[in-house]
Amino acid sequence: MSEHIVSRYDDELKDVQRRIAEMGGIAERLVDLSVTALTRIDTVMANTVIMEDRRLDEIQRQCEEEAIRIIARRQPMALDLREVIGAMRISNDLERIGDLAKNNAKRVLALDGQFQSKRFMTGVEHMAELSLAQLKDVLDAYATRDVHQAFEVWKRDADIDSMYTSLFRELLTYMMEDPRNISLCTHLLFCAKNIERIGDHTTNIAETVHYVVTGEALTQDRPKQDESSVTTVTYADN
Amino acid sequence: MASLGNSAISTPAAQALYRRRRRSNGILLTLSFAATIFGLLWLALILIALFYQGFSGLSLSIFTEMTPPPGEAGGLLNAIIGSLIMTIAGVAIGTPIGILAGTYMAEYGRHNQLTNVVRFINDILLAAPSIVIGLFVYEVVVAPMGHFSAIAGSLALAILVIPVVVRTTEDMLNLVPNTLREASAALGLPRAVMIRQVAYRAALSGIVTGVLLAIARVSGETAPLLFTALNNQFWSVDPNAPMSSLPVTIFQFALSPYPEWQKLAWSGALLITIAVLALNIIARTFLSPRTSK
Amino acid sequence: MMQSAVAPNALPEKISIKNLKFFYGDSLALKSINLPLYEKKVTAFIGPSGCGKSTLLRVLNRMYDLYPRQRAEGEVLFDGGNILNPGQDLNLLRARIGMVFQKPTPFPMSIYDNIAFGIRLYENISRAEMDARVEAALTRAALWNEVKDKLSSSGLSLSGGQQQRLCIARSIAVRPEVVLFDEPCSALDPISTAKIEELIDELTADYTIAIVTHNMQQAARVSDYTAFMYLGELIEFDETSKIFTAPSDKRTQDYITGRFG
Repeated sequence: MSEHIVSRYDDELKDVQRRIAEMGGIAERLVDLSVTALTRIDTVMANTVIMEDRRLDEIQRQCEEEAIRIIARRQPMALDLREVIGAMRISNDLERIGDLAKNNAKRVLALDGQFQSKRFMTGVEHMAELSLAQLKDVLDAYATRDVHQAFEVWKRDADIDSMYTSLFRELLTYMMEDPRNISLCTHLLFCAKNIERIGDHTTNIAETVHYVVTGEALTQDRPKQDESSVTTVTYADN
Repeated sequence: MASLGNSAISTPAAQALYRRRRRSNGILLTLSFAATIFGLLWLALILIALFYQGFSGLSLSIFTEMTPPPGEAGGLLNAIIGSLIMTIAGVAIGTPIGILAGTYMAEYGRHNQLTNVVRFINDILLAAPSIVIGLFVYEVVVAPMGHFSAIAGSLALAILVIPVVVRTTEDMLNLVPNTLREASAALGLPRAVMIRQVAYRAALSGIVTGVLLAIARVSGETAPLLFTALNNQFWSVDPNAPMSSLPVTIFQFALSPYPEWQKLAWSGALLITIAVLALNIIARTFLSPRTSK
Repeated sequence: MMQSAVAPNALPEKISIKNLKFFYGDSLALKSINLPLYEKKVTAFIGPSGCGKSTLLRVLNRMYDLYPRQRAEGEVLFDGGNILNPGQDLNLLRARIGMVFQKPTPFPMSIYDNIAFGIRLYENISRAEMDARVEAALTRAALWNEVKDKLSSSGLSLSGGQQQRLCIARSIAVRPEVVLFDEPCSALDPISTAKIEELIDELTADYTIAIVTHNMQQAARVSDYTAFMYLGELIEFDETSKIFTAPSDKRTQDYITGRFG
């Protein structure tokens, strides 16, 4: 894309994009760390996540201010308008992703010293891996303005959703097996929910990338696979 | 000059250049000023002489009595009235023709060749010596009629009025912004309506000024009247007979050996000068932008 | 060249420009323009200086006829008839297609007469009716409250913004069907500009409007459809919201985002 007549304008837009890239890096790291902290019940790592989320919040605020300043002073149009609006949305999504990772980290602190079983963790771990891969992909798609890649991310969110639904069943089953599992499994349920929500924000980013590049919203209905809200597990009547 | 810092003007060469310019500027300014004074000085001398010589002769009798025979007291009444009649007649004939011609040139024929030709000829007419016009009217009016007349005088003055009015009308209409014409056209106004209701209104003060200047120009003319209206010692308002006028009377009396006539000539000259001055001042106030309408 | 993807909802076309070419002497200023002006919508023409947008506007009421060596080819259909026909009555055409100019152009007469002038030309109405028409036009142009106590003072005594609204009132007083605006706000301050924009918005209830503007934000604010012109060509024509968020032509994008040249 050729440059603006006013070169300062280019600098400002690049500045916003640079902040988004920085936020993307931090968000990925937070998600990664929070899951590792969860599977290992590592409170030090969990505390790192909680600390670093503040930095993410800070950059998000700067990014938003810069975007507002551009809108006020440059009245961006067309591509530039979409770029700025996109940056605002994406920074918002990344900030939320950071919050969700932080929430998971806090649960690690709560679980510390409680009864644990590795087998409960695997489902959450798988889900986290998938959503982390999604996040990486969508950030790549944003950096390269790759609509196709963004669209792929958008479609794949269904996998996370169905994974969540089955994990939901699984954890309920553990709770029914043994009431001692309830505390841990409840926390894990929330963690899984958080990861599922991270996936949703990732999808939002994919939609934003699509809008930034094409100027059109992704309007078709996304395949939804999260059926946990209508899922129940009943005691086997025996 | 205190602190010019690093700017280009702070170098010695630039300073020298700057001083030289200031010097030549000062010299030229002095010269221009002197030239202005020199020009104005003569004007002042003329006015002083006129007032000195003419003011003492101004009395009520100037306006009530006829031009006298040599050696007697009298006034300039017939000359004043004659001048008024012929000037008014000349302006009355010349102004409509001039305005119409100017309107054609500015509004209808702005882009055609005829306008350029007319403008060129008009400019020549504007600069033509008035005696030539006097001779012309003598040839085409006085000679066929067989005698001098006020009609011929009026016609000669009219021919002097026309180019002035044509010029100012065209110039003033050209000053009317084109946007006003477009705005009129955009409302669906026919061009004739636009000219009458919009362009004339916008150019009114300028056109009136042009007419006033034309009056000022012809009221002092002597040469065209010498060949056409001649002069008349007596009271006459007959347009078909010779008529007296101020300029011709001044011409005749000033050249005479009689002191009474010479005195009357000075007074007449003062009258014309005051009248022309007054017209010019009125014209100026007309042209100056009005604060409110 | 043109990438018009528009015929979205088949709005009635008040004016249809078809294969319009325009010449200043021998030089071609408009190269085969095809463009609709939808009824009771605002269409904005944008583009860099010299792109032909003002020329196009001045074809629509045949203003170019005032000048020699300017001519148009093609068709401009106005309610079905081609206004480029030599037999077209220009005064009638211009009474139906009004125009407001860049510089306010009040006539050198009273505020009242500025409005009444155009009406008198085509209608013979009583003093009372005329008063009502003048008041209606001034009210419509959001000027009545500011001038109702000084209708007899000169139109030139008003401020620039008021003069421009007077000109709009004068245009709509003769009840045209289309109003053309040629950079109506370029000489006005932001507040006056906002008032004119508000006015344009209200006028769409009854009039089809075309506006030429150098101010892209203004085009974005006031228009329903936008035409981007460049070097005498129509590059893109679409709904304004589309043009300003996601134009399809690179040149449009470059122009409206400030990347041109």
